[in-house]
Amino acid sequence: MFSFLRQSTFTMKVHCFERKFCVSSSSLVPLPLPSRMETHFWYILPDEVKSSSLLNQYLDLLSPCEKENVFRMHGDRLKKRAILARALVRTTIARYQINSEVSPRSLKFRKNIHGKPEVEWQLDDDWRPPPLHFNISHTSSLIACGVTMDSLIGIDVEEKQRTIKNNILSFAQRYFSHHEVELLTSISDTEVQRQEFLKLWTLKEAYVKALGRGFSGAPFKTFTIRYGGAISGNVNSEASQIVVESCDDSTSHTSNWEFTLLELSSHYAAICTEKDNNAFEGGTLFLWNKII
Amino acid sequence: MAAITPASLFLQSRPRLSRQSLATTRISSLKSVSISNQKSLSLRLWPLQSCFRVHCAAKPDTVEKVCKIVRKQLALPEDSSVTGESKFVALGADSLDTVEIVMALEEEFGISVEEESAQSITTVQDAADLIEKLAEKKGA
Repeated sequence: MFSFLRQSTFTMKVHCFERKFCVSSSSLVPLPLPSRMETHFWYILPDEVKSSSLLNQYLDLLSPCEKENVFRMHGDRLKKRAILARALVRTTIARYQINSEVSPRSLKFRKNIHGKPEVEWQLDDDWRPPPLHFNISHTSSLIACGVTMDSLIGIDVEEKQRTIKNNILSFAQRYFSHHEVELLTSISDTEVQRQEFLKLWTLKEAYVKALGRGFSGAPFKTFTIRYGGAISGNVNSEASQIVVESCDDSTSHTSNWEFTLLELSSHYAAICTEKDNNAFEGGTLFLWNKII
Repeated sequence: MAAITPASLFLQSRPRLSRQSLATTRISSLKSVSISNQKSLSLRLWPLQSCFRVHCAAKPDTVEKVCKIVRKQLALPEDSSVTGESKFVALGADSLDTVEIVMALEEEFGISVEEESAQSITTVQDAADLIEKLAEKKGA
């Protein structure tokens, strides 16, 4: 149900769960917070949510502001997606054993100075909030939320069948780096080219979202995603490295970032997290498909 | 100078503000003005004793072209409601859609949009206003 396309370290282990939880916040099975070596990736498939009463329960979890945003969406499909996206974030974060005050409904969110969403913890004198990070992405058929501890995270998901309305090479020349344009130009099969384009897009988008500085904070042309060679002479093509490099100085390796690219339920999913330079290489990715 | 035709009203004046406001019908130098099909039109008239202040937003033609490009990118049916006030996100656009729309606008209008400006576009009107601003700069 999922497969690794590329991972930046071949020691990464993946645990995949297909569990369906149901209904209210009281039945949320609590989880310990992720360790620093873990990335948690939660996702739902909107088409699997068929009950309108369930959808109303999820709507009920949202803040007034979020509800307003839901109602501004044009049409039922977009409204449903908006409800599920916020419900996923709220129930996911509330699921971790943070403290007894935190529930899906009680969580507050805000945007940082660049517009990146973050939790606004209700501070207490004798309680320090956990350094929990999250990032969301959604398409019409998949909504995902990635969670880490003490590490920036950015995710992006795209439908594999998504068509690009503009000419791919023109688009790449306008927005991608020179190296990426070369890579795409070298692909003669238009379908493969489209797929590689999408993979690059998701990886670049995940990186920019992890940085949290907005589209203009790290313009796509200023960095390159590169599929590096294998590590330590181990020629395992599925485990070749994904790295990001600044275009200004090709020798400078922005080595703080870890990328994972998956195929998940007819989507490409890219995850970008900060590397913990003190720990050994590799980490664990947990995937949960759930109805919240 | 104002040229008034039944279907449109154009005004050249400075400075331009980008937010629309409705014009009232009390214009000191004209007895009656009918302004139709102007969802996002506003005027600045001299002298400033007039009791309201109006300003020019993008031409309706530009807004219409932007709507067409947005509809195409998002594969919206012809009868779906897309107006100047429509927010891209509310129409279902994600980040790739928005960038594709910006690129299509660049090609259609022969302009170049910086990342900072692209990031600030959230509605059809924003896009139309930016296009006119850039086209004006280009022509200057």
